[in-house]
Amino acid sequence: LHQHCCKIFTFLLTVGVTLSFFFICLSPGEIVVNEVNFVRKCISAESNQDDPWGKLICTNFKVSFIPQEAPPKQKSQLSHLLLGEHDIPLTCLEQVVTVNDTKGKKKVLGSNQKLKFNPTELILYCKDLRIIRFCFDEAGPESARKVCLAIAHYSHPADLQLLFGFEYQGRRYHECKVNGSTPRGGMQTPIFDRPSDWDREIKRTSASEWRVCSINESYAISPSLPEYIVVPVSLADQDLKQYSLYFTDRRIPLWCWNHPNGSALVRMACIVDPLHQRKIDQRIFTAITKSHTQRSEVIRSDLDKCLPNIQDIQSAFVKVRQICVLDPFEESEERWLSSIDNSRWLEYVRAFLKHSAEIVYYLEGKNVSVILQEEEDRDLNCVVSSLVQLMLDPHYRSLIGFQSLVQKEWVMAGHRFLDRCNHLKKNYKEESPLFMLFLDCVWQMMNQYPAAFEFTEAYLTVLSDSMWIPLFSTFLFSSPKQRAQHLMDFAKNKAIPQGEDQVVYFPPVWEWSQQFSIKDQTLFNNPMYVGKGAACVQNGEVKTFRRTKKTYSSTLRGTATLMRNGLKEGEDTLTRRGSLVSELKSEFSAVKDESPSERFFRDWFSRPADQQGLLIPLSMPSHVALWKLFFLRWVPEACIPRGGPITAYHKLSQLVDEIEILQSQLRQYKGPSPGNTPLPSPSGPPSDQRRMYFKASYPDDPATTPDFFTSSFPFTPVGNLCRRSVYGTPISKFLNGARIWLSTETLANDTV
Amino acid sequence: AFCLFSDKDIIYMCHFNGAVKGKVLITNYRLYFKSSDADVTVMLDVPLGAISRVEKMGGASSRGENSYGLDITCKDMRNLKFALKQEGHSRRDIFELLFRHAFPLSHGLPLFAYVTQEKYAENGWNIYKPVEEFRRQGLPNNKWRITFINKSYDLCDTYPTVLAVPFKSKEEDLRRVAAFRSRARIPATGGGYEGDEYQNAELVFLDIQNIHVMRESLKKLKDIVYPNVEESHWLSSLESTHWLEHVKLVLSGAIQVADKVSSGNSVVVHCSDGWDRTAQLTSLAMLMLDSHYRTLRGFQVLIEKEWISFGHKFASRIGHGDKNHADQDRSPIFVQFIDCVWQMTKQFPTAFEFNEHLLLTILDHLYSCRFGTFLYNCESAREQHVRSKTVSLWSLVNSKMDIYLNPFYTPESGRVLYPVASMRHLELWVTYYIRWNPRIRQQQQSPVEQRYKELLALRDEYLKKLEQLQLSDSSTSSRLANSPTANTSSTTSTPTQQYTHLQTPF
Repeated sequence: LHQHCCKIFTFLLTVGVTLSFFFICLSPGEIVVNEVNFVRKCISAESNQDDPWGKLICTNFKVSFIPQEAPPKQKSQLSHLLLGEHDIPLTCLEQVVTVNDTKGKKKVLGSNQKLKFNPTELILYCKDLRIIRFCFDEAGPESARKVCLAIAHYSHPADLQLLFGFEYQGRRYHECKVNGSTPRGGMQTPIFDRPSDWDREIKRTSASEWRVCSINESYAISPSLPEYIVVPVSLADQDLKQYSLYFTDRRIPLWCWNHPNGSALVRMACIVDPLHQRKIDQRIFTAITKSHTQRSEVIRSDLDKCLPNIQDIQSAFVKVRQICVLDPFEESEERWLSSIDNSRWLEYVRAFLKHSAEIVYYLEGKNVSVILQEEEDRDLNCVVSSLVQLMLDPHYRSLIGFQSLVQKEWVMAGHRFLDRCNHLKKNYKEESPLFMLFLDCVWQMMNQYPAAFEFTEAYLTVLSDSMWIPLFSTFLFSSPKQRAQHLMDFAKNKAIPQGEDQVVYFPPVWEWSQQFSIKDQTLFNNPMYVGKGAACVQNGEVKTFRRTKKTYSSTLRGTATLMRNGLKEGEDTLTRRGSLVSELKSEFSAVKDESPSERFFRDWFSRPADQQGLLIPLSMPSHVALWKLFFLRWVPEACIPRGGPITAYHKLSQLVDEIEILQSQLRQYKGPSPGNTPLPSPSGPPSDQRRMYFKASYPDDPATTPDFFTSSFPFTPVGNLCRRSVYGTPISKFLNGARIWLSTETLANDTV
Repeated sequence: AFCLFSDKDIIYMCHFNGAVKGKVLITNYRLYFKSSDADVTVMLDVPLGAISRVEKMGGASSRGENSYGLDITCKDMRNLKFALKQEGHSRRDIFELLFRHAFPLSHGLPLFAYVTQEKYAENGWNIYKPVEEFRRQGLPNNKWRITFINKSYDLCDTYPTVLAVPFKSKEEDLRRVAAFRSRARIPATGGGYEGDEYQNAELVFLDIQNIHVMRESLKKLKDIVYPNVEESHWLSSLESTHWLEHVKLVLSGAIQVADKVSSGNSVVVHCSDGWDRTAQLTSLAMLMLDSHYRTLRGFQVLIEKEWISFGHKFASRIGHGDKNHADQDRSPIFVQFIDCVWQMTKQFPTAFEFNEHLLLTILDHLYSCRFGTFLYNCESAREQHVRSKTVSLWSLVNSKMDIYLNPFYTPESGRVLYPVASMRHLELWVTYYIRWNPRIRQQQQSPVEQRYKELLALRDEYLKKLEQLQLSDSSTSSRLANSPTANTSSTTSTPTQQYTHLQTPF
């Protein structure tokens, strides 16, 4: 596995394993590659009095720092089962920078490189926005140099199979096998790798005019489509095979979702051959119209034309990241708002939300089916289709529903996670944080409708961090076919019996018990969530809203009238011009000549929002905010001690826990027992089944805010963001983090 | 209130819905408009006190539809335009009525607070009693004494009658100092924390701009949020108003004051006259230092003490009932203070007993002239009539306290609250500054607060149910039930009876 690396590090390896055996927590299959002692981890820029000393270790999975003195264990924050407080997975490293302070030299290290100076410090720029700095002032210079080289080398894997997940999951499989595993690890999230998952989705949304099609079994048609896809019933397999020839990457249109009014959301790639465009378009559109219960028309939204492209998104993210974690805190205060503005990140977030809301208007308000079209159907379409479904269908706002949405519209639809995450650090041009952009959009909706989602912003943040841990099948591949092939080879290499379920031997991120304890996973639960069958009090009576699957169609009645009005007044602005295709325009006109979609939105906003119905986010710039937990969690200066949203979450969580105890007591309540035997007091659910992170408080509990509550909770900024403050020294201009982090490509070749 | 003008057809030139036909009703307190089209429901309810300027638009020669009418500028971040028919004299009538009753002081009329006959269960004028408040803070003591030297406002007419001054200061010294300070405003205690009188002073300049800069800043803010929120480069536009930057400087000034005081130093806070910046800084610092001021009643005391009693010139800064809209003395100093308080409540959602609704209500009645609370410039001017002839805003608030209470409030006496005065955390208070935008759903309460209240009601309902069950038990077995929540022992008992109607998973 690590053949060529082992040549360099063989002797260190043996030494390393024996030395660190008692200190470092190694996962199955993890080996120590190199280590150096007497290292100082810089946790504050000014003084080094509080800096911990310890050992810096590079394994084939992570960079680990083992402090000499165990710090007082901090209570009640998310602790990862495989990664310690000071650990960074190698896949999470964005840049490895070595510095020699006295010589005024620095070098960005890549794979298999030489280092002509002994580094006095090592700065690790991480993909989860941490910046971690180690000083070697007391360490052996040669060992320090070797550790730096090892980290650089192992964080640039030559091949996908060298990512640690392939070692780890093999071992884990065989270890778990002894205990016998439940089917799919007891995981409830549908993976959409089998026809039944699609069937269930068709039934759930009453998409009776759509069918599961298996022409792509064994990826016979397209390598980037899943094996099973949903298509109009009027299209025969033979037709689809023929049409597939005309689409980019042979990606025929994919059904995403059905509205109870019959309109469908469909995504597709562009048609390669302009000569056949009209003909194919026509056939596809006719088939989709036929699948609409009311035979309504179809409109197409060309996302490449109206949304920022992947390079725009990448450069906006790089800028906003720079502003949030790199720029000196005080100096950037004055220009903070305009800097955020100039990064354009929020503008893009807003554009995606706004465009998705516009699509919602067509599906819900105009009762027409919508085709999302994009060159490859693997980037922008993933964002928009999942946002549209999140707005329209409350099922996707539950935890399982959300995970199935990501599985369906991202993983199975062939989003190039491997390329977009740039796990192999090979092609920076392909890197783009589309999934991150999606999570930010979800956060914006959550921020506006805090009771509508079953999960929390901590969940979204943890999900984003999981992209940089190479253990889950979710984020490691660029297409379903690539996943299948790699996992097949993997199974063969690791002696996993044929026919074993991939989900069992190489689980997706959705199996959260891989990363967190049951208790810590309760941080994902939103105590405010108004889910299906939520209890509420009406006129002093506890009532339950029992909702059927189609509750969200209740919003339909209102909009149907509205649409009639719209048509009556001749406000239908859709151009038809004899073509079946109406191009979707997204323009927001001035107030007085309000467009039908604006009228739809205004009407919707004038009514109280139903958490289990349609939800449209406000996309006014004043209502799209910076996601502070994600962007500022490591910034110590921005941390509000004993404050922030967690203080309210704490109280909500305690209250809901109390309510659940009461519910359980009411359910279990026994009448008076016969005779005089003391009645066992009714109890709450066993503690491992309690859904809330914070347990109900008791009257005599001290009512103080715990010290570990900060606006960064459940994360801690301590030691995770060490920017250098070496202004005025000759080295300072080299250490301008901006230059280092921003211009990856140019500096990677910069030798000292 | 009595009706002055009603049921006249008028067209409201809504920035959002275009021309809306409807009826207008004007009383001596408010202007009320309701659309008559079934299609669009538009409702306006504007206290005349909130009007800063009324102008006629268009003349007899005006061409174009709806170009003839009235243009009304409000103090609360909105503008209203009405179109009228040229025939008859309806415009002249409405204009004169509005002009007269929106600016009663310019017409020799009383402010509405003197006309209204409102009655409340509680008398809000009793909320603040200076000597009692000094006693709560442990004054007098060996460092500070209470003086009545200003009993008849002859030392300083803009100060209250009861003052706390350094113990060793002699009455004649105070008189001599008063002669030197601007308008005789001698230093007196704010927070009432022990210290070494005024010695060992360290001079810190806080760089906070003057009242004119603040006025212009808020004006710029209004330009970018009303009627429409600036679509392109929103954050840069917001930055260029400097409003949040000013909020930041005021907050960080207050933090410095609070920090010095909590580490045992006395702080003399002053600005040129000591009624604008001083009031902001002392009251915010006190809010940080003393948890009592973070309660609903304590906050009222704080406003009464540091703003009303110490002579913030509300009449000049707001221009109650005065037609001179361009008066250079007007400035949103108090609005800025309330904004700072809001910023603190955002950073510490459980530290304040009151909610956002209280802050909005305070700002609404800062202009409305319905209550005597914010009228006049200082105590000496107020003393003569206000308390006996008008109603206090706190009468309204304290007679219906529950709607102003923050359900998340967790009292933590003695906790010093330091907000983070960074642009990273300061937000534009959209529910105040952008509340007239119909694109934003009008919410009485924040959704989080609302949900918490619903859950509290649910909890109480379950508790009641359980109590009832236990009571019906004890009637047969005469055993007292345990408090349900205080018992979470993991005894597992096989349920013999299922209350299916209560199986309500979340």
